[in-house]
Amino acid sequence: MNEKSPGNFEDELRRRLRPIDAPEGFAERLMAALPVEQKATVVKPLAARPSLRQFGLPAALAASLMVAVFLGVRVANDRALREEQIGIAASQQLMQALRVTSQKLDLAYEAVNNPPTAGEEENRS
Amino acid sequence: MSLSAAHPMPDSLLLQARAGDRNAFAALVRAHQGSVFSIGLRMLSRRDAAEDLAQDVFLQLYRKLDSIESLEHLGFWLRRVAANLAIDWLRRLPYSATQPLDESAEVAAQVSEDDPLMSRELMRLLGELAPHPRAVMLLRYQEDRDVAEIAAMLDMPVNTVKSHIKRSLTALRGRMIGAKLIDCEELP
Repeated sequence: MNEKSPGNFEDELRRRLRPIDAPEGFAERLMAALPVEQKATVVKPLAARPSLRQFGLPAALAASLMVAVFLGVRVANDRALREEQIGIAASQQLMQALRVTSQKLDLAYEAVNNPPTAGEEENRS
Repeated sequence: MSLSAAHPMPDSLLLQARAGDRNAFAALVRAHQGSVFSIGLRMLSRRDAAEDLAQDVFLQLYRKLDSIESLEHLGFWLRRVAANLAIDWLRRLPYSATQPLDESAEVAAQVSEDDPLMSRELMRLLGELAPHPRAVMLLRYQEDRDVAEIAAMLDMPVNTVKSHIKRSLTALRGRMIGAKLIDCEELP
């Protein structure tokens, strides 16, 4: 290869890199390997009977969800009942306190409006 | 050698192949099998792998015929798929970077009757290039594609293609001078 310029080297490359013939019978072997029908027909399977395995997981998930909802509602109800009972007890305690306070106030009012006389004081002492 | 270059094919051949005409498809295969097989052989350096690759490329074409718009598009598509598939195979499979000498000699003998030693050495040196530069060189000098088309085929910037060509040419020339296959004094 006598290379006097880059262009010559490139020409030499082109000459030596010419496409090579494919092996004998390549096209025939390829055609034999092609599928018979060009357009594959999509065959829909017959409607199969739903199996337990097919629906097992969704059913289990649905059941779990229902149990979770049921338990949640029940816990919420229990909590509301407990809070109601605490509220009633607090209300009763408050009423009791108010009753005691009212009685004490009545006694104080009585003492202010009807003070004891001197004789009563002496008798008392 | 591509038949399409010597005998331009009518687009009707493509239309017939798309309509399911197996003879028309076979004609398209025969027109392009040389290019596709040569890309595979010079990328993978093995005849059996090259034939497998060519078969894979044409089977893909058979499935995607509907997306091929013209014979020009067909040529572009085949080269693009062949080059990228070869790069992909080189990444995945333990093909040797250097080809067996007997196959190299056989390939060289097919290409050039004069100086088979030179052709054989060129094949070996080409096989030492990394997959992407090797594909660029084959598309440029075997398939005679321009840099913009090569860039589109290999999904890389035009400047990268130019850079691969320049560096690969320098490397090939340097190695051929080192092997005393070309004369250093005759180079500019």
